[in-house]
Amino acid sequence: MLIVGLREIYGRKDTKTPLSARLREYRLTLKILLESPSSTVGLAIVLAYATVAVIDFTYPSLIGVQNAYSMVPDFMNSVPAPPVWPIHPFGTTFPGVDLYQAVMSAIRVDLWYSLMIVLAGAAAGTMVGVLAAYVGGYVDEALMRFTDIFMSIPFLPFAIAVAFVLGRALDDVSLALVIVWWPNYSRYAYGQALSLKENAYFEAARASGVGTWGIIFRHVIPNVLTPTFVQISLDLGTVVQVFASLTFIGFASGNPLLPELGTLISNGFQYAVTAPWVIFFPGMAILIFSIGMNLLGDGLRDALDPRSRT
Amino acid sequence: MKLRYYIARRLLLLIPTLLGLTLIVFAISHVGGSQRLLGEYINSHSTIPVNVQEQQLAERFHLNDPLVVQYFYWLAAFVQGDWGYTQTTIYSGTVLDAIKLFYPNTFILSVLAAIWTGLIGIPLGVWSAVRKDSVLDQTTRVISFVGYSVPLYWLALLLIIVFSTTDACSCLNIFPIGGTASVRLMGGVDWYSGGISDPTHVLIIDSVIHGRFDILEDALMHLVLPVITLTYGVMASVLRVMRSTMQDTLSQDYIRTARAKGLDEKTVINVHARRTALIPVATLLGHTIAWLLGGVVLVETVFNYLGIGYWTTQAILNDDVGGIMGATIIFGLTFIFANLAVDIAYGFLDPRIRH
Repeated sequence: MLIVGLREIYGRKDTKTPLSARLREYRLTLKILLESPSSTVGLAIVLAYATVAVIDFTYPSLIGVQNAYSMVPDFMNSVPAPPVWPIHPFGTTFPGVDLYQAVMSAIRVDLWYSLMIVLAGAAAGTMVGVLAAYVGGYVDEALMRFTDIFMSIPFLPFAIAVAFVLGRALDDVSLALVIVWWPNYSRYAYGQALSLKENAYFEAARASGVGTWGIIFRHVIPNVLTPTFVQISLDLGTVVQVFASLTFIGFASGNPLLPELGTLISNGFQYAVTAPWVIFFPGMAILIFSIGMNLLGDGLRDALDPRSRT
Repeated sequence: MKLRYYIARRLLLLIPTLLGLTLIVFAISHVGGSQRLLGEYINSHSTIPVNVQEQQLAERFHLNDPLVVQYFYWLAAFVQGDWGYTQTTIYSGTVLDAIKLFYPNTFILSVLAAIWTGLIGIPLGVWSAVRKDSVLDQTTRVISFVGYSVPLYWLALLLIIVFSTTDACSCLNIFPIGGTASVRLMGGVDWYSGGISDPTHVLIIDSVIHGRFDILEDALMHLVLPVITLTYGVMASVLRVMRSTMQDTLSQDYIRTARAKGLDEKTVINVHARRTALIPVATLLGHTIAWLLGGVVLVETVFNYLGIGYWTTQAILNDDVGGIMGATIIFGLTFIFANLAVDIAYGFLDPRIRH
């Protein structure tokens, strides 16, 4: 029933914004974005990471990665060796793994999981927040108190506890982060939807006989999407960090040869003082991505803000 | 609304929050299956077969009842202080005793980091807003951006590499690392065992009580790097919000009025603008505390600092349900009560909030 309703709502041709107008809109956003040097840098960083991830997924040999799904250990030379150009540009880490290849593949793994975490959290949270705000009354109270309960524990210890229960695989850690992360979006969408509700076009939609689901999917969610999108881009840098923190402190111990940035730092932990490169490069990979994502998110927030478009 | 009513209302809201916390902790401890939960209680050397032991334990902990009933039995035990057992390489015993041992260390680390965050973050944010686009402002913005993005455990490791006494290049061997004190000093000390000191369990206080100022100095040196790491990680958001709200405030009409009537710039900034700009920073405090308590786990782990966070990571490695549960409870309680304190202080500061 919901699917049929969705098709009816989004399928009608006559009410859609013409493609040319939407393209114009995107071009304007991009123009505003590129006017600021910091968001241009952010965009460049994020695009570079995305390119590395895609290449690593499709033709890993292009960036010199032999095996994109597992690190290749060399137990004969397991002690980290310093960087030597061009054989080991980042050096090697325990147990004799080429750090450059490991970091490149780890970027793909971390990006993929973080993106999934944020998207799943945003989808669930936005639904709950919008429902609470739009339906109101008992539903509002119940849903938002439920959200509050999830926010009564600081997220990192909470994520640790949930991941501990679910298991040690990366999928379990991701699911734990979704469970901890969705209330942020729920709060956010709730606030957005509440202020939208004051608009007169809601009254108009209801008066012309649009049902509750119609209003939610046609009028509320599209309007909440843009600010949520900005929030997603701001959060992605943080989630990459948190995800790698969890793997660093001992989750994802099931497969020590899976290329993952937190695991790499944790593998190199005992050699950190004698061989600093083993933790330097994986950490830099997280730091630069996180900075790029934050710069881009800030830029997007300004570019998508109607007030900056005069 | 009178302040009294505001506080009473806020205290009442505590009840559902606390119940929610117990629900989450109950779920965490029971979802994984009873096998995992009973692991700590089963004696493999006993003459009673393991499956019989399991049955007896299931009976004792009411594990065959519906979950709702189990929750109430669990809650009753929880309220009476029976929080189960923990067994890790650093401590074996009841969860409550472990918390009593480890919590003071975590508390002192968090409080020190919070104080420094306020002491550095707020003036720096104000300063950077007043001198917008100056070199100082640009530097501050870069500092706060990197602070937002840097993985704390990684920063901690870098600091260890550069500043610790064990560093490879031995260029900046300033700070000792690992735990709360140097082993060479603690050898014959009878009020110190297993990394924990008596009677307050906080070494910098206990060393003063026992009059050992050399140990105090050593303990303080051990605290420097963890506090720097934690402060830097938490400060970024305070700095950012302080800067942006201070900028907004400085462009308000009443600031122009204050300047027009001839007040000197110092009074305008320190008395008129900063006070208003602090309110959004206060709303951010809850979020900041959450970051702080998350950061504590990572920082304690890297520095082998015996606190709740270190206990948590040991519990992960030892597959210890009790430790994870205890840490979740104590972090949750700290967070809830810290937020309560912030809200009440906020009620005092901003009369609008009471309505």
